[in-house]
Amino acid sequence: MPRMESKDQTSRLLVKFSKEGDASFLSHRETMRALERALRRSGLPLCFSEGFNPRPKVSFSPALPLGVKALAEYLEVKVAGPADVELARERMNQALPRGLEVREIRLMPMHIPKLSRWARYGLYRVERGEFGEGEVIHLVLSLAGEEQGRLREALEILGFGEIGSYGFSVTRVGIYPSLYEAVEDAGGRALYYDGKARVLRELEGDEL
Amino acid sequence: MKGKGENIENFLYGNLHKVTTPGRYLGVEVNSFHKPFYSSHVRWALIYPDLYELGMSHLGLAVLYEIINEREDSMADRAYLPWTDMQDLMRDKGIPLFGLETRRPLREFDLVGITLQHELNYANVLRVFALSGIPLRSEERGAEDPLVVGGGPGAFNPEPLADAFDLLVLGDGEEAVGDITEVVREWKKSPSRDRKGLLRELCRLPGIYVPSFYRPHYREDGTLAEVEPLEGAPLPVRKRVLVDLNSYPYPRRPLVPLVESVHDRASLEIFRGCTRGCRFCQAGYIYRPVRERDEEILLRMAREMIDSTGFEEISLTSLNSPDYTRIDSLAGRLADEMEPLKVTVSLPSLRTDTFSVKLAGKLRRVRRAGLTFAPEAASESLRRSINKGVDEEDLYRALHAAYSEGWRKVKLYFMIGLPGEREEDVEEIGMMLRRILKGKGSREPLVGMHFTVSISTFVPKPHTPFQWVSQLSLPEVARRHFILRETLRMKGVTFRWHDREMSYVEGLLARGDRRLFPAVVRAARRGCLDNWTEQFSFSRWEESVREEGLDMAWYVERERDRDEVLPWDHLDCGVGKDFLWSEFEKALRGEITPDCRFDACAGCGACQGEVRLRLAADGV
Repeated sequence: MPRMESKDQTSRLLVKFSKEGDASFLSHRETMRALERALRRSGLPLCFSEGFNPRPKVSFSPALPLGVKALAEYLEVKVAGPADVELARERMNQALPRGLEVREIRLMPMHIPKLSRWARYGLYRVERGEFGEGEVIHLVLSLAGEEQGRLREALEILGFGEIGSYGFSVTRVGIYPSLYEAVEDAGGRALYYDGKARVLRELEGDEL
Repeated sequence: MKGKGENIENFLYGNLHKVTTPGRYLGVEVNSFHKPFYSSHVRWALIYPDLYELGMSHLGLAVLYEIINEREDSMADRAYLPWTDMQDLMRDKGIPLFGLETRRPLREFDLVGITLQHELNYANVLRVFALSGIPLRSEERGAEDPLVVGGGPGAFNPEPLADAFDLLVLGDGEEAVGDITEVVREWKKSPSRDRKGLLRELCRLPGIYVPSFYRPHYREDGTLAEVEPLEGAPLPVRKRVLVDLNSYPYPRRPLVPLVESVHDRASLEIFRGCTRGCRFCQAGYIYRPVRERDEEILLRMAREMIDSTGFEEISLTSLNSPDYTRIDSLAGRLADEMEPLKVTVSLPSLRTDTFSVKLAGKLRRVRRAGLTFAPEAASESLRRSINKGVDEEDLYRALHAAYSEGWRKVKLYFMIGLPGEREEDVEEIGMMLRRILKGKGSREPLVGMHFTVSISTFVPKPHTPFQWVSQLSLPEVARRHFILRETLRMKGVTFRWHDREMSYVEGLLARGDRRLFPAVVRAARRGCLDNWTEQFSFSRWEESVREEGLDMAWYVERERDRDEVLPWDHLDCGVGKDFLWSEFEKALRGEITPDCRFDACAGCGACQGEVRLRLAADGV
């Protein structure tokens, strides 16, 4: 049936990117703009919004506070036809400011929910010391829902100062659909900050 | 010396989280060159003396940045004026102003180029010196200090800042930066490194003005007697003109701002110069003659810019874009080509006519922003005197066309204080608006249309037919604003006006001479950063000028005689003083001078030798 086919031509791509070094000082909005412009240069058959200022149909994983590095952030983009994802990845990387890098582009099967649905938990690696020689804390935050927690509050409880100041660094290691996966990536053990109760809890993988 | 770069880097990583919009200070924009500092023969730092968001939107510096970086013997870095929070931190930690890409102090560059875009940026320019630690006066600098180069429209009367500059480029910079680079490259190889000798050599290049080689002599009444050239420097200094813009199709890969900027888009300069001949407009005289780029070259430039940036908008810039010979064809082809890429084509300047409105409609220019027209004056006689060749009928027609295209928001620009303006002329603005809103004769009223009437104070500028006239006094501006407030009190009209004290300082600096320099220094030390409204202080300016024993009104409100030697007479923009005077007389008589692009040559003097009016070649 031709109608079905034409509908099937649009698909979703999941773009995984990292944000390190200088780029960690770009705001969420600035990061989105840079990535959107790189997408425009990627050669992907983007779907655009209607209206006077058409924009590619993109959604991003939850905002990252300024000064926090990230290893695996995501954006989801709608495309209108077949795409050479490896070529698109290379092109995007030539079109991004230093510190932003596309790690992988993957076609999302239809049964996988939207990014906004599964991006529930963030895992943060907090390192004491200037050169990563100090203690490492794994911290998990809820990125949506009732227990959504602010990174700054969690760090305050842990006795750290402002993000970006000397003495420690913060990296968001990944974004996960479940607590279990987040803790697993942390090596089976992490601190969970409950943003509703405003308390830190120790989590172990086998308890979950 | 090596430690300094690391200091700056450490400073940045330790403090960026404390400042607003740290993206301004990173220097890692897409298309930045990052050429090596140590192995480059000639190192330029290009400075826009205002915020990143403004500097990144400036086309001239973008062009020079690419030209210099594409040369094998040179590199260009850039810097903007940091916001006050960053300035405070830098001062606290002893960090000098630095190039964003190299993270090296400006002091360590060979050449520091500063663009003079507006008089109200002059105090900012001095702040650049204060933050960078570069000695303020050209005469205080030694062999190890950078050469400070000025450019932009302000170079046509840089006298209030002249002592701070080693040299200035009058006119187009594309070729001049190459010439300067070559001379400096050879000079660096010379054992003596004699700075004065270098300046002597530079002043022989076309378009280069070395202020220290010109000594002003004043009469007892304070006016200039003469400007005496020294060291065999040329008199006058003729501006540099790029004969054929097709030979420099820049920018090709413009920097993509990391932070949302004022003009966050690709700018395609379709031509330079304007010969409409509006008598108040300095740009209309100093950039003559009109030189259009060819359509095919423009299309290629547009493609390359969009390919290399991912910008979602491209703007056709010039002093009056609808005047481009093949504008219909260019706009149509560009819009067609950009449609599949979802790139918007826009037109920043609109003439007051139906054609322009239709063109803007075709380009699907952003509706929300609304349209802008600049009738400048409401009464017919005043419009004739400024040579604004539109009548009220044109405006009606343009507005009706806009109305039927669906626009409901229009901004109208007017000036007050034009030479010969009477009270009736000011009242006429309100009457004109009333006529427009109510409809007239066969013209329908524009129901639901909203007007923003924006009023600026006329500031007489050098190298224009009005360079001799008096600028309105502050009480007089206040009085006329009052009249406007009363007469523009009507539904559907919002009245906005420029700060009159800012216009007064603008007037002071526009026609100032070298004696003002210490006053500008005082004002800058007192914290004036005039463009940043909250840092503007008229009383600081007043005090600073008074303390130097000078009188603001003498500069601003005094009418000059025809024969007076003006502080910028030794700087030649091509248009002769006699022509300007005859234009002034025609203004008083209300006579129009037609545009030489469509009519006979008016004999302004801008076309000489190879330099001539150059229209776009016919299509393929």
